[in-house]
Amino acid sequence: MTAFLDARTLPSASVLEPDIAIIGGGPAGISLALALADSKLNILLLESGGENFDPANQKMYGGVRNGLSYIALDAGRLRFLGGSTNHWGGWCRPLDEIDFEPRDWLPHSGWPFPKSALAPYYHRAQALVEAGPWLYDKTGASVAAQGPLLPLGDGGIYTSWFQFSKTRDSDLPTYFGHRYQSELKSAAKVTPLLHANITGIRLSPDGRQVERLDVATLNAQGGAGKTFTVKPRITALAAVGMENARLLLASNDVMKAGIGNQNDLVGRFFADNPIPRDVATLVTFAGPLSPYYGTNLALANGPIVKATFSPTDAFRRNGRVAGSLTTVEQPVELDEAGKAAVVTTAIALGVDASNAKAYSLGCGLELMPDPERRLTLTDEKDGLGLPRLKLTMRMADEDFRLYHATLREMGRQLLASKAGMLRIIRHEEWSKNMDWGNHHLGTTRMHADPKNGVVDADGQVHGVANLYVAGSSLFPTYGASNPTLNLVALTLRLADHLKKVTV
Amino acid sequence: MRRRTLIASVAAAGAVLTAGLYRFTDLFVKHYPPSPYDDVLAALVDRERAARFGALVHDVPAPGALAARLRGILKSNGLAGAAASDIMAGRLAEVDGWVVPESVALLSALAARV
Repeated sequence: MTAFLDARTLPSASVLEPDIAIIGGGPAGISLALALADSKLNILLLESGGENFDPANQKMYGGVRNGLSYIALDAGRLRFLGGSTNHWGGWCRPLDEIDFEPRDWLPHSGWPFPKSALAPYYHRAQALVEAGPWLYDKTGASVAAQGPLLPLGDGGIYTSWFQFSKTRDSDLPTYFGHRYQSELKSAAKVTPLLHANITGIRLSPDGRQVERLDVATLNAQGGAGKTFTVKPRITALAAVGMENARLLLASNDVMKAGIGNQNDLVGRFFADNPIPRDVATLVTFAGPLSPYYGTNLALANGPIVKATFSPTDAFRRNGRVAGSLTTVEQPVELDEAGKAAVVTTAIALGVDASNAKAYSLGCGLELMPDPERRLTLTDEKDGLGLPRLKLTMRMADEDFRLYHATLREMGRQLLASKAGMLRIIRHEEWSKNMDWGNHHLGTTRMHADPKNGVVDADGQVHGVANLYVAGSSLFPTYGASNPTLNLVALTLRLADHLKKVTV
Repeated sequence: MRRRTLIASVAAAGAVLTAGLYRFTDLFVKHYPPSPYDDVLAALVDRERAARFGALVHDVPAPGALAARLRGILKSNGLAGAAASDIMAGRLAEVDGWVVPESVALLSALAARV
């Protein structure tokens, strides 16, 4: 195949009958299609966009925001092949074991399985995101020649590592649509269909099966062009955190609250990772930090790495804090009061601070699960008649308090090891202009109990036998790690499950 | 006057002048009026900078009570020992966001209030 199939060229009222229909051609959808390509299943990959950005198509993502300042709903995600990997930064890090555990200080936390259930899939996921050899927390040994780790000593914070997705012969991250187009085109059992917008997931009258998918193309005026039907044996919804919830909520002809929403959970627990800047000032008494703290460092054996400060699982458990990944941003100059703080403290500790350097710190935070941080449908509809979304965004004081406790522990360790000291900046100063990771998480959360989750541990929508969900919308607890590597691993696990249930 | 005597006289005058500048001006070292807390404040090597930092410490007792508390803190192992004990025990203060041993914060606060 030399070109992708374009839904606009299909005869109207066509009926397609694949074994598996995958809705969404982002990292989850593409990973799922590629993982199933060697099966005997006919796979139809339905992507709403084309191969490139199209403003008219992107407008379909528009919605309303309420509450805490947040990026526009049509700005934080991309509606064309490759999805949001078309603008991702390539940051990769596996979730920590504790991210999967229920924790009493984080209500609604815990996955329905431990991290070990994803372990068999991480290395394949790492290959798909092209982040190089799996090093992560073994990176320290590989960077010894570049300078020492900041000696944090014993305590709750340690130097952890990001790896970065890297497309071959370039420093760009892996844009899944571009990177895997030839694999998708050449896979005999996979049919990618572009410009195919799902307008409804239609259930059997008893609500237990997906009978068909209603699909439409956009015409030049932004309205419905051709319409056609897909009748798959199995549907996998992989349209990312916001759109997965939107399609389930909007498909309400049989289940009036929306598919999988019998317990009013679809769209709730929305989360993202706040990415605030200037959360703290790190002073190192002995001089400049090693380069891998402040910059992305390309190692000789391939991977690009960057150091970050992470709470240990033990500290998170005993200190009852959430996940966070604190990063060095840039060198800063201290004011006179700051210099006085450093000199006074260094003298008291008996260390020489005459070469001290100061750096601003940023971070990626994990939010506590919150059912009131949610997506709902509005009365306004897009060009194809699908209700637009409203996001109610908020953060709790507890989210800030937990991170403060983590920074305080880091400050204690720096003093204990006589390596430096920390100034924690009041969150009122940095929380007003926070960036966000554009990691849309949690809106179709996994849980074994339908009262607490939209899908089960396999990603199957509770009560609907042939409907699965893929992607970060499944994360019932979020961690601070960037989600792409993790959602790809979770999707590969789903692929194995689908192979089993279709034999 | 013999040359040797002249040189000695100039040197002596210079020494006296330098000693005077050191003792009676802040040119070489800042002088503080005597206070009832000088025994405590002697633990500070750079009292001026400590005072600048200590001005940011809020909600501390009056100097008399503060000094009495610090005498107890410092009596066994001095400031270095007190700071180490604070860190071990997690007795940390946040002064304008700076995470410091409590003893350092209290001593700096006293320096700022004398």
